[in-house]
Amino acid sequence: MTTAQAAVRSTYRDAKRQRAIRQAGRAGRLAPLIFLAPAGLALLAVSVFPVFDGLWLSLHNTLLSAQRSDFIGFANYGQLVGDDQFWSAWRHTLIFTATSTVAETLIGLAMALVLHETFAGRGMVRAAMLVPWAIPTVVTSKMFGWLFDGQHGIVNWLLVQMHILSAPANWYGSTETALWTIVMADVWKTAPFMALLLLAGLQTVPNALIEASRMDGAGALQTFFYIRLPLLLPTLMIAGMFRALDAFRIFDLVYVLTGGGPADSTEVLSTLTYKTLFSALDFGYGSALSVAMFATEALIAFGFGLFIMRGMRRANG
Amino acid sequence: MTDRSEHNVSGRSAGTRGFGRRSFLMAAGAALATPAILKTISVARAASPAEITFSSAKFFGKRTVAEVVDLFNQSQGEIRVTYDELPPPSASTEVHQGLVQRLAKKDGSPDVFTQDVVWIAEFAAAGWALALDDVISAAEAAEYFPGVLAACKFDGKLTALPWFVDSGMLYYRKDLLSAAGIAVPETWDQLVAGAEQLMKAGKAKIGYSWQAKQAEVLICDLVEFIASNGGSILGPDGKTVTIADKPAVEAVQFMYDTIAKYKISPADVRSWDEEPSRMPFTGGDVAFLRNWSYVYPISQDAKTSSVVGKVGVAPLPHFAGGKSAACLGGYQYGVNASTKNRDAAVTFVKWLSSPKTQLTFATELGLAPSRPAVFDSAELGKAQPFMQTLKPVFVGATPRPVTPRYSQVSLALQSAVSKAVNDGNVAAALAEAKKKIESIVSA
Repeated sequence: MTTAQAAVRSTYRDAKRQRAIRQAGRAGRLAPLIFLAPAGLALLAVSVFPVFDGLWLSLHNTLLSAQRSDFIGFANYGQLVGDDQFWSAWRHTLIFTATSTVAETLIGLAMALVLHETFAGRGMVRAAMLVPWAIPTVVTSKMFGWLFDGQHGIVNWLLVQMHILSAPANWYGSTETALWTIVMADVWKTAPFMALLLLAGLQTVPNALIEASRMDGAGALQTFFYIRLPLLLPTLMIAGMFRALDAFRIFDLVYVLTGGGPADSTEVLSTLTYKTLFSALDFGYGSALSVAMFATEALIAFGFGLFIMRGMRRANG
Repeated sequence: MTDRSEHNVSGRSAGTRGFGRRSFLMAAGAALATPAILKTISVARAASPAEITFSSAKFFGKRTVAEVVDLFNQSQGEIRVTYDELPPPSASTEVHQGLVQRLAKKDGSPDVFTQDVVWIAEFAAAGWALALDDVISAAEAAEYFPGVLAACKFDGKLTALPWFVDSGMLYYRKDLLSAAGIAVPETWDQLVAGAEQLMKAGKAKIGYSWQAKQAEVLICDLVEFIASNGGSILGPDGKTVTIADKPAVEAVQFMYDTIAKYKISPADVRSWDEEPSRMPFTGGDVAFLRNWSYVYPISQDAKTSSVVGKVGVAPLPHFAGGKSAACLGGYQYGVNASTKNRDAAVTFVKWLSSPKTQLTFATELGLAPSRPAVFDSAELGKAQPFMQTLKPVFVGATPRPVTPRYSQVSLALQSAVSKAVNDGNVAAALAEAKKKIESIVSA
């Protein structure tokens, strides 16, 4: 065998091997995609498609009961901009989201700090704390309906007995107090959930750091503000974002307790959209409302996301 | 030990087997006999029956709607009705959705359906409801309460047939009124005077209880106040908006005044729908109450009420120069315009709305007839003595605005009237509502 022959043969062998490797590589690269396809398709079908279908529907004047569905461009959005009811619902939703998220975060943080300490019966208290969160919201609504009843509610009775109020207040029947009654019900229900999330965050703060700060003579307040709070901040931001996005979709409390009244003072985007979509069967305008809701929610998520990313980047140097 | 237990087991199983054999023989006998029986029936009936379907919201009392449908199936052999049950009327939004989804398919199913009185115009305008003018003569139509029949018409065509009627009515405390020498009020002024007198004397904490929650019931109360002042929300053409006209403005001003000026209604009515407004009445705190017919049985049950035997019912008051008006509720029948069995569907719907079936619905399900003649029957008097006394109330039954866009009109009105009764800025709220409703009905 000449060297030339050997060289040709080895080149041939190499090419074959390389082709085999290349083929295996292509298959190897394709395999994960094939395995991911079902999940991807499922996501496309249940998440991406409805969003785009909703967008498409919002460009039509679809009214189920009138059997019409014509493309009308952005006319629904034109109507939306001039619709007082939409803007008042939008405002109420933002007010509700902001106040309930801030109150729940602060109260939840206080609860988490208490529950982080060791004391007798801590396990029991931790479990009991979750009861409000586990109760179905419709039940909570009915319960607050009775507590804050204008005629026979115990809240009125207590406040009158303690001379804080001179006469029973009409909590959810008055435009000044109705939204705040709903905020209170929501805080009662969800603050424990925030506490739980923040408690998990607190447990990741190394005890060594706290001991070290104590040895350096830091008081409880200093330990909190210089050690715990900065280290808790990422958890706090993420929990706050979850809560805000969830609060923005508020529906059941309003639907059961006030139905949006009195005088639209508790109408939020979810209840307004529900009424438009399912009571009036106005799918076109209802979809435009949903898109407006989606856009606002995306903005809130974007805002939080920006803040969280910046915090993380700073932490990583 | 083992032996005996084994013996027991086998003994029991033998017994079971014996029973099984006996019941098997019986079943086999029945199976052999059934085709023979069916054959005789089908011979007697000659042709196979026409098959139609019937969708209705769920109602029940001593009997159910399904049982009434069975009565029809057993009474004759030409038509066989399959019953398709929708949610109860308390889940009105779901019933509406269910019907719209079925009717929009236009495949003729259900052939016959029941609908809330406020959907009649919507279904007629969409072309889903068959016009019944050819099959219901003028003489037959005259046998129903005029208000109910008016609500069954859209664009001059009869597109629904009356089933049962309910309406707003005035409940009052017989004992308090007679002790104070107050006559049952016929005008709103008399009601205000009576309520003020009873409240001042400490006999009642609340003078007049009604419903101002931002919900459908607010529109029912609104229709009664406005119509009793000779006004309306929409003109008869369904396009002219009359909500900002003088009679309507006066009526809504009065609604606000009951709370703010006369103080005969607590501010709480702004968040009350039917039940919250009923509870203080049956608790004995209220002199006058506006509500539906369901309140009466509750008020006469000693377990839930402290005013048993002290409750009277009358038509609602009216303004000076007006006429008492009662907002019409209840469900009515419709025939699907794309039915493939028109004759069978019409026969069935006429049977459902016949005096005899209405009497069955009244005595067995507690649904008040929409035919005045049925009220006078002795059987109704025996089974539902209270219902019989409601005839004068239902004579004044007034439909809510008749428009295919009713649900949108109602939402706009709820928002505006709730504002008006909260801040008393009546003219502005109604002018705003007028603008909004005009854009809805003209679209």
